[in-house]
Amino acid sequence: MRSDALLAQVFMRSLYPLLLLASLWILLRGHNAPGGGFIAGLLAVAASAAYALVFDVASSRRRLPLAPVSLAASGVLLALLSGLPALLGGLPFLTHLWGTLTFGPVELPVSTGMLFDLGVYLCVWGVFGGYCLALLRSIEEIP
Amino acid sequence: MNYESCDNRRGEVLGRLLPALIPAALLTLLLAALAIEPLPWRLSWTWIPSLGVDLSLYVDGLSAQFLLLIVGIGTMVFVYGSAYLAENSRRNRVFGLLVLFMAAMIGAVVSDHLLVLFVFWELTSLLSFLLIGIDHEQEEGRRSALQALLVTGSGGLCLLAGIILLGQIGGSYSLQTLIERAPLFLEDVRLNAALALIFVGAFSKSAQFPFHFWLPNAMAAPTPVSAYLHSATMVKLGIYLLARLDAAFSELLFWEYSLVSIGTVTAVLAAIQTVRERDLKRILAWSTVATLGTLTMLVGLPGNGAALAVAALFFAHALYKAPLFFVAGNLDHGTGTRAIDKLTGMRRYMPWTAAIALLAALSMAGLPLTFGFIAKGAIALAKEQAEALLLVSYAAVLVNGVSVAVAAIAAIHVFWGRDRSPLQAGLHPHEAPLAMLLPPLLLVILGLLFGLAPTMIDPLLGAAAHAMAPGFDQTMVTLSYDFLAVLEAMAGALVLGGVILLGWRRLGLLMDRFRHLEIVGPEAWYWRSLVLLPRLAARQTRLLQHGQLPRYVMTLVSVATLLVLALLLVARPGWAWPELHSLTAPVAGAALLIAAGALVAMFVRDRLVLLLVSGLVGYGSAVLFLFTGAPDLAFTQFAVETVFVVVVAAVLLRLRRTPLALGAVPTAARLRPLALAVATAFGASLTALVLLVAGLPFDNSLAVFFSEQSVPAAHGRNVVNLILVDFRAVDTLGEIAVLFFALLAVLPLFKRFGGGA
Amino acid sequence: MIWAIALALGIVIAAGTYLALSRDLLRCLIGLVLLGNGINLLLFTSGRLSSSLPPVIGADEMVLGVAANPLPQALVLTAIVISFALLCFSLVLALRIIQLAGSDDLTRLRAAEPTSQDAVKPALEEES
Repeated sequence: MRSDALLAQVFMRSLYPLLLLASLWILLRGHNAPGGGFIAGLLAVAASAAYALVFDVASSRRRLPLAPVSLAASGVLLALLSGLPALLGGLPFLTHLWGTLTFGPVELPVSTGMLFDLGVYLCVWGVFGGYCLALLRSIEEIP
Repeated sequence: MNYESCDNRRGEVLGRLLPALIPAALLTLLLAALAIEPLPWRLSWTWIPSLGVDLSLYVDGLSAQFLLLIVGIGTMVFVYGSAYLAENSRRNRVFGLLVLFMAAMIGAVVSDHLLVLFVFWELTSLLSFLLIGIDHEQEEGRRSALQALLVTGSGGLCLLAGIILLGQIGGSYSLQTLIERAPLFLEDVRLNAALALIFVGAFSKSAQFPFHFWLPNAMAAPTPVSAYLHSATMVKLGIYLLARLDAAFSELLFWEYSLVSIGTVTAVLAAIQTVRERDLKRILAWSTVATLGTLTMLVGLPGNGAALAVAALFFAHALYKAPLFFVAGNLDHGTGTRAIDKLTGMRRYMPWTAAIALLAALSMAGLPLTFGFIAKGAIALAKEQAEALLLVSYAAVLVNGVSVAVAAIAAIHVFWGRDRSPLQAGLHPHEAPLAMLLPPLLLVILGLLFGLAPTMIDPLLGAAAHAMAPGFDQTMVTLSYDFLAVLEAMAGALVLGGVILLGWRRLGLLMDRFRHLEIVGPEAWYWRSLVLLPRLAARQTRLLQHGQLPRYVMTLVSVATLLVLALLLVARPGWAWPELHSLTAPVAGAALLIAAGALVAMFVRDRLVLLLVSGLVGYGSAVLFLFTGAPDLAFTQFAVETVFVVVVAAVLLRLRRTPLALGAVPTAARLRPLALAVATAFGASLTALVLLVAGLPFDNSLAVFFSEQSVPAAHGRNVVNLILVDFRAVDTLGEIAVLFFALLAVLPLFKRFGGGA
Repeated sequence: MIWAIALALGIVIAAGTYLALSRDLLRCLIGLVLLGNGINLLLFTSGRLSSSLPPVIGADEMVLGVAANPLPQALVLTAIVISFALLCFSLVLALRIIQLAGSDDLTRLRAAEPTSQDAVKPALEEES
């Protein structure tokens, strides 16, 4: 293996979790500052694509939480579920609810809206991650 | 054993008669209603209020006359058919269709709303198609059915256009309202166009020139169907509509001239064509066309007498032509042929049929003491009153002569002609069963009865005439028969008829010499159009569906450009170009980056460079978004562009090494002037659109709503994200579902990429 | 400012159309990308360029002050993502077509609308 490729791999190994952390941070801050599920999801896609380019598609895929299709499906499902609590309260579908969870001294604001955004994030990651990996996979057999 | 089979047989016959109960019950009901309830009857229900379509029924004398024919002849046809079709495997389908047909006919003649009438009208065309083509394994049947459908169907389209136009002119679709209001819009310039369209519809339905040719071909249908649809009822629907509208438009010269001339031409042409035929059923069909022409002519003639003549001929024709069709059916049933050359001296084998034929023929020839005589008298008087052209009278003599000859062929030639030992010709004639004799017998007896005692039918004829000509008075009926004039005309017709009968074969041969004239006839044009239309369709399809993506795109973009330009031109008075403001450096730089990237992309040859340059445009947009207050967009665009360029570049780099000749199109980088022109026009028109839209006043209320509601209602501060996640969350849910499906859709393709991804 | 953006988007759309009119499948795709970019810009400007401040409400405020119109931004954001998906889909389709047909010349892709052998239908004229 060439040394520059090795260097890239070492670099990528540490960059990948950082990129994912950054994407999560962008996802969470999206409510109050620029960011949100779409942008965060695309950042995660970029991380997966970069990982696949530096290593190979199979190892990038192993680093995904789920297979791309399942990831996208779970995202859509999560977004769908986030709208259900409102129905129980007699409100229109996808009316978001807010609350705070208290863990001792720590108070966490939670809402169904955040769940929805998480669903968007997972779906974008799954769909475009799936596309990128498949495209890259299709050329891997070409010598 | 013997008894049992006899019982079975009787049960079978009765079972086959069951369908006839439907028209019989309706006939009873109608007769009872006519006796109890004075005409006209009105009923109305709201049907489609939004379109103003009411299901309103209106039954006056004319409708009642038609109803009587529909259910009366219908009953006879059903009884007759029970025996005629006994061995036919499609019997049930024929009766089912006939019941539907009867319902459609009833609907057509009782509807007061023109559009409702039209729907029933088209239904009858459709059912006629199914009934003519009932023997769909025969090519002849299929061709004739299709011809009838295409001719009457295209006429129906014209009729619809005419009805809509008439409705627009008159402000109503109700026949009665239109007739009432007619004097108000007789001067309207659009009226002639509307009437011309209605003429096309009515003429095609009633087999008037130049649409007459479909009717003789429709004889491919079983005889009961021919007798019912193509002689007694459906083909008279066109005349019915004309007779209905006659009350409104009889004063128009266009109306009178069109109907009289087309009616006369049809009658004469049909009379001439009759002589060429050797098939009894087709002979009867052509003579039906001649009668329809006479009816059209009579509707066109002004005056009260003409209205009475129409009513009388309607009735008389049904009472003699239907039995003659039944006679033709009996001959077909008894001998297996309808060729008049083979059929002679049949009275020995089929005495009852012979008697019926004789009685019907007497009425058809218009001899005294028959109902046909009364009709002829009314016609003669009508012509006298209307001071019809001499030419029309001469035509009438010819038509009458031929109809005498046809009557003689059907009755005398076939049954009393010199017996040429039909048994040797391979025929085994036998008399028809009772069910095939009673219906025609009943009809000819009715014809005789009304001929002997016209007062029995006078009230109905008077009511029908009154519906066509409101000035007609009931008391006029009995005074309206001018027997002397008829007898005069009769003598001429009888002599002429005798000559035609004797020279039938020779006349036919003579006519056949002119058959090359057919290539300019309407039927030839029909066949030509059947060849030309698919060619035209194929050419037009090839023109639009050429299978070349660049040209499809060209069409789409050109149309879009024209639409934008048209929109801009319409808005011309409000044009206001925005002012030139100073530019901030980042925006200027971004715009420059976008424009430069786009311009280079147009002409760069290498695909990798093309990809990178397109990325430049994306990055330029991202910068632009960043400096115009849209950081969310900027980040999204950055991320998309980066992922896309990097992944596709990797793919392209790898593909370069394959034998697959990518980018091998040599013309790809050559300048294409037309494409450039279209592209420039599209871009320029959208630039103009953006600039002009920027000058328009802006409704800011949505932005204000989101700005005000974000914190209190959605507990957030990034308004763009809140619109996506909260305010319009259902849309976003839809969007991510679409994304998901886009992945699913492409999975099968991945699987095929070099065996499983 | 609107003039600069309008001119730039006009050029992008013209270039995108020009590429989309090409016979070369991949150029066509890039043309689609550029068209999408241009239309996004058009959508964005249709909401007016009122301010260069992002539509984010300040930490101690309840209502958005002077800022860009958030609505077209939300629309364009989804448009960018959707057109990216469309692009990915078309790319995969295009690569697959190239692989199957052995050509990326659009005028030679004839599987769906083959040259007619029918006597009635006129044959397609081949582009030279």
